[in-house]
Amino acid sequence: MTHISDFDAPKKPWLRLMVPILIVLGFAVLFVIMDQNGKAPGREDQGPTGKSPMGAKLQEGQTYYLFASEIELYPTNLKNDAWDGGKNGPDIRYRILWQGNQVFESEEKEDSLIADWSGLSLDLEWTDLMGKSISPDEAIKAARIRYEKGGLVEVEVEDDDVADDDEAGRAEIQLKDLRLGRNEIPFEKTSVNAVRRINLRVLPHGSAIRDLVDLMK
Amino acid sequence: MSRIHLLILLSSALLGVGLVAPTLTIRPQAGEFSWLVEILAPEELVPSTYSIVGVIRELYLIGDVFLAGVLGLFSIVFPVFKLCLYWLGTDRSGSLISSGSLYEWTTRASKFSMAEVFVLALVILSVKALPGGSSATMEWGAYVFVGSALGAMLIPTLARKNEP
Repeated sequence: MTHISDFDAPKKPWLRLMVPILIVLGFAVLFVIMDQNGKAPGREDQGPTGKSPMGAKLQEGQTYYLFASEIELYPTNLKNDAWDGGKNGPDIRYRILWQGNQVFESEEKEDSLIADWSGLSLDLEWTDLMGKSISPDEAIKAARIRYEKGGLVEVEVEDDDVADDDEAGRAEIQLKDLRLGRNEIPFEKTSVNAVRRINLRVLPHGSAIRDLVDLMK
Repeated sequence: MSRIHLLILLSSALLGVGLVAPTLTIRPQAGEFSWLVEILAPEELVPSTYSIVGVIRELYLIGDVFLAGVLGLFSIVFPVFKLCLYWLGTDRSGSLISSGSLYEWTTRASKFSMAEVFVLALVILSVKALPGGSSATMEWGAYVFVGSALGAMLIPTLARKNEP
């Protein structure tokens, strides 16, 4: 141990005290600047981790979920009259037919020219929270179809009325034209079609939930 | 400049980086319903990476001023104060200056040499115990911070060795 002398005694102790503080601050600021400029070591970009197969072609023999995420109708029906007698918008519902069979029917969306469906629905009761196991299959409300060469699906859209349902349009869609993810299909107004466009979503059956989430965005 | 002073400067530099570098990544999960939350509110399950300063800031913003204060005190104020004390309390040869109160303070500070690491470990342990399968992993910033604390721990020992 040394004894302090006039020579060793700090001349300006507060100035000396600042040295470690300045070093700490200096390196902290330097790191922050480097991190912001060059995305240097540090912040992870925590986006979706899965490799999104968005836009990929359908694979033969594979099963897929298929649902319409959005359907838009023309302002008038097939007879060029107002929907629902002009008071309200149409109550839109659609069906998917595959190989001549109805494989899915959507819920009805009231009074809208643009209806959307999330493709998800859960009927949960409080008791379910105590340990019921729910799989993605149970929650995804969509048709299940298999892609085969030359395969097609039919989408029937109707205005659901109390008295009589009015057909809004019927589209035959070749499966080879569909891609994974969102497919927007526009239609002309004709005497047999009042559907302006259908957004179809195709999701691979049995995929990791993360990939399904990416495709639903 | 003595080896002790170099060690103090190195510890200060490591502390500066350790405070702002990524230290903790929390990956939230909601147990059995994780996949559902992932669909309905994916933002709730996005992993977050925090630095020590970031953790203190988050704690302060959510109103936990006490915990923010404790963490700030033990991970920023105390280590910086300790390094300043060592810088001031060593002479040119790297020996401890035996000027009454300064020597006492330096000795006292050295007794709490790993307090900051202990507090950091407590935070990580408490987060690791989160329900629903949430997990917390240490990032490289934590090791830099521990490196700074270890360096600071060595300073009084080496300084005493330098004493004639």
